Amino acid sequence: MTRLVGGVTLAALAAGLVMGFGIAPREATQGNVQRIMYLHVPSVWVAYLAFAVVLVASIAYLIRRAEAADRLAHASAEVGVLFTGLTIATGSIWGKPTWGTWWTWDARLTSVAILFVMYLGYLLLRGMIEDRERGARFAAVLGIVAAFNIPLVHFSVYWWRTLHQPPSLMKPGPGTMPGIIVTALLVNFVAFSLLYVYFVARRARLLRREAEAAG
Amino acid sequence: MRRAFIVVWKDLLVERRSKETLNALFFFALLLLFIFQFSLGPDRERLAGTLPGLLWLAFILSGLLGLGRTFVVERENDCWEGLLLSPGDKSAIYVGKLAGNLLLMLVVEAILLVLFTFFFNLDLGGALPALAVVIGLGTVAFAAVGTLFAAMTAQVRARELLFPVLLLPVQAPVLLATVKATEAVLLGEPLGSVAHWLKLLAAADVVYVAVGVLTFDFVLEG
Amino acid sequence: MPDNWGFVLAAYGLAAGVLLAYWRFLARRERDLRGAAERNRIAPVSGHPGPEPASRTPRA
Repeated sequence: MTRLVGGVTLAALAAGLVMGFGIAPREATQGNVQRIMYLHVPSVWVAYLAFAVVLVASIAYLIRRAEAADRLAHASAEVGVLFTGLTIATGSIWGKPTWGTWWTWDARLTSVAILFVMYLGYLLLRGMIEDRERGARFAAVLGIVAAFNIPLVHFSVYWWRTLHQPPSLMKPGPGTMPGIIVTALLVNFVAFSLLYVYFVARRARLLRREAEAAG
Repeated sequence: MRRAFIVVWKDLLVERRSKETLNALFFFALLLLFIFQFSLGPDRERLAGTLPGLLWLAFILSGLLGLGRTFVVERENDCWEGLLLSPGDKSAIYVGKLAGNLLLMLVVEAILLVLFTFFFNLDLGGALPALAVVIGLGTVAFAAVGTLFAAMTAQVRARELLFPVLLLPVQAPVLLATVKATEAVLLGEPLGSVAHWLKLLAAADVVYVAVGVLTFDFVLEG
Repeated sequence: MPDNWGFVLAAYGLAAGVLLAYWRFLARRERDLRGAAERNRIAPVSGHPGPEPASRTPRA
């Protein structure tokens, strides 16, 4: 089953690349550097998806104590941190030629950076607790706190960046992008989402096998 | 609710007799002030600009020190099992600990505020009530999450490391809000101008305390 | 504006590298686990007799 998902994912990723490089046009103001968007935006979407799953799985674990929920939360957090890091990296690489700097404290990058550190802490917590049941409980609580914190992070950072400063050169929102670019973006969304499912499935399965091996 | 009061009262009594936390925090606050002065003092203008940030930096650092120890007292004196075995809803313990921590932090913050005013020649004037509101809201948020995380990390090996690592990222939005609000208030602006920040802080307070009350049982099991 | 293909390549290359590395991490861990399980079956650590060949669980 996982192999099937993997295969479909690979096909979708290939399609995404084709769309991103072959079919999508060269952007007017930024040039071809804008194609990094097809990496950056789907990555951040997957990250948020992952952390939403962590929230649901964490609540489910606390209520039902199902080991599967705990493994799902763990796997999703790990994949989420992976894609969050990717978001930051691609955003930074995109920013250097377009804004002239590797890092800027704009709303999106700052929010994502905070997210990254929060869930990295989640993984750290898991790594530092030997007792499996306690680790699962604590991680679940942290997963819930972190998820509820996300809207707070968003608002605070957004207000911080826009209320006393002119908005930075952000890429245009979907509403103002030509249709073909939106389509390319959507294809990459789907591809990355499938990649998320594939990774989480394998990671959760690995966790289950490790637990079984430990007896 | 009565049990919450008992917890607060117990902590206050312990503190009154030993005064160890308060003393340590007071000296730490003094030390921070010296360091701020040495690093930023020569440049008067920059110091004035960063004052709100420095104030909250001092609050946070003292808070980390004080909160990190919340449950250590129980663990050191073999009272931990007593906490775990207490019957009924454990969230009363959370509320009690939260209230105690809140009180402790507010006292330390008041002392710091006085020290800041003294050493950096702050003119608080009419800003004090507004400042009190901002500090109050921010401290509740910090104490709410801090108490929850302190209970968690008290049971983990590298607790002195894990506690700030977990707490600080979560507090980032609260810190943003309090510093921006403090900045405005110290410039003499009315509370209404920072209403959005205050609403964010209030929302944070509600969310954090609610999550704390609901999940504390799970932290204190076993 | 210049095209900056170097940056595009860097971004896509980095993404591909990281995702590939994670995939290999998963594959390697699974392989190690499977290897350990096989070794356990042939010479079980607990000392219980191993299962008959006919009862081997099918691979996923």
